[in-house]
Amino acid sequence: MMDLIVAVLRTGTPMIYVAMAGVLAQRAGVWNLGLEGLMITGACASAVIAEQTGSVALGLLGAVGFCVLLSALLWLVIEKLKANPIIAGLGLTGLGLGGTDFGIQAVYGSEGAVTAPAGIPTLGPAFGPFGVLDALVLAMPVMVFGVWFACRRTRFGLRLTASGEHPFAARSVGADPARMRLIALLLGGVLAGLGGAELSLGGLDIFSVGMTAGRGFMAFSAVIFGAGHPVGATFAALFFALVEFLGIKAQLVFGEHAPRDFVLMLPYIATVLGIWISARLRGGALLSAIEMRDG
Amino acid sequence: MSERVKDLHKLAVTEQPSRRNILAWGGLLSATAATLPLFGGQAFAAGKLVALVHTQAAGDNGPIDDMIAHLKALGKQDHFPIRTIYASDPSTYQSILSTLAGAGAAVIVTTFNEMADPIKAVAPGYPGTKFIQLYADPFKPVIPNVRTVEYQAHYGMFLAGIFGAGVSQSHRLGYIGGMSLPGLNADLNAMKAGADSVSHTVTVKGAFAGSFQDPTKGREIANQLFSTGIDFIQTDGAATDAGVIRAAGEGSNRIVSAVFRTQFKLGPKTVASSVLVNFGQSLTDQVSAAVSGKFMAGHYVSTLADGIIDFVPSDLFMQNGPPAYVHAAKAAWPAVNAAKAAIIAGTLKVPFNTQL
Repeated sequence: MMDLIVAVLRTGTPMIYVAMAGVLAQRAGVWNLGLEGLMITGACASAVIAEQTGSVALGLLGAVGFCVLLSALLWLVIEKLKANPIIAGLGLTGLGLGGTDFGIQAVYGSEGAVTAPAGIPTLGPAFGPFGVLDALVLAMPVMVFGVWFACRRTRFGLRLTASGEHPFAARSVGADPARMRLIALLLGGVLAGLGGAELSLGGLDIFSVGMTAGRGFMAFSAVIFGAGHPVGATFAALFFALVEFLGIKAQLVFGEHAPRDFVLMLPYIATVLGIWISARLRGGALLSAIEMRDG
Repeated sequence: MSERVKDLHKLAVTEQPSRRNILAWGGLLSATAATLPLFGGQAFAAGKLVALVHTQAAGDNGPIDDMIAHLKALGKQDHFPIRTIYASDPSTYQSILSTLAGAGAAVIVTTFNEMADPIKAVAPGYPGTKFIQLYADPFKPVIPNVRTVEYQAHYGMFLAGIFGAGVSQSHRLGYIGGMSLPGLNADLNAMKAGADSVSHTVTVKGAFAGSFQDPTKGREIANQLFSTGIDFIQTDGAATDAGVIRAAGEGSNRIVSAVFRTQFKLGPKTVASSVLVNFGQSLTDQVSAAVSGKFMAGHYVSTLADGIIDFVPSDLFMQNGPPAYVHAAKAAWPAVNAAKAAIIAGTLKVPFNTQL
């Protein structure tokens, strides 16, 4: 049981940070399909900077910095150049995936993986099976609470949500939707950078090209699954991590008796089913939300 | 709407490029950008360009990095221009090959079985270009300008099974592959056969990550395997292996056998050995023959005998590993060497069984 909790927390935490970035963007009216690109950028920047400077803290700062810059670029393209947010987000993902590959070649003159000298500090062996959990995993509940509090209990959160759902109404009370989107995307950049850094420096201490393996898109799915609510998206990301754990377990238990490819598909089938059930339970609420924010 | 506004609106509409034009220009620019990396002054000037088109990303601390490093070294040594191109999208394989061949590439090296059909489609149209496919099945009929190279890596995995059975204190071994492909299925079966040849009580549990580039999943699978009492895992998943090695470092009595020498440094206390497929050396051998006029079309099988396939211990582990496991590793090595000699002599055969 302890192994399950630890595995789900470690697998789920990077997705939760990135999903929170998606939640903020979605509340501001932007379907951020660039989360995969932000995540891989954060993973790459943190490992490269940690390797170059020997400092994990600088690696984290660098990851945040790069992701904030990319988020600002996304805002510029969407708001000032009037690009379709979904296409722009996909472009950002392409930029992140290709840019990190290019960056590694530029820095090291080869396409090799980057091994950081150290990772994010962990609890240590004294805490038994929980000893492998690092600072960002432990800070995750606080971060989620912070996002929830900001969205639901502050004037900023109300204006943010209004900017996404009813920009005209937001303007009528003096809020600037474009500015709110910029703030949401920049804050999201911070969180996505930390999520990417957690992926590469949270126990692996390594970056390799394409290592996000679609986790940014899963974080985006968690945003939809969780109906754009910080807590809902968190549980959705944890659900995906649990499904991945059970998928591995199923392969080890049933692998000899069932087609392996089918067993490997199980987590994805469960994810699709989960989203479908979630949409059915919420009825038209999700659909209307999609229509409003994509309009 | 007033006439003035209507005129302005009409002007704005007519002044803007049509969507069709935008798409056409965008498509043209994209196509140009996509093919630009394939060209270069050297490619046309020297007429001896050697290109490596790899279908698995670099940065794997394994086969692709090794091939690229060897090609760079060979190009520098023999003074010919090189290009390395990562082909991630199967729909582009054929166009990449034909673009390179059309640009006058002397030799095009490709990786893995997925390149078979694109080569069969392109190679006959460019007889002046020599194609080398590494990790391939034989072509029937043989194409005069195509060389296919097969690696009997499962023999290395057989030796890993013998070694693991000797090293493991729990008599429970694990195997983590990138994807359930025929070659990797054969590797798992060969490892089981190797372990079984030592003792029928030794078990091997296999799992696949579903990706060659997912160290996070590799770590989770390894942790689950280790938590069941397995204390020796053979990796076979390129960049995914890094996660397996990290998982071994998170507990005691966790030993890993890698698939490349460069992985030894990732776990000085845990990576005890490695199955080797010396892709880089193989590429050097094949490209050297091709550019020096000794190119031979047809199929070539690399085995333990030519040194391209091997199974080697890690000196780092022998110095830093847990004493009990180091002792067991040293004790297991004579059996590995005996099996290796028998395989090279042809007295020991390991079936290439792809059925799990």
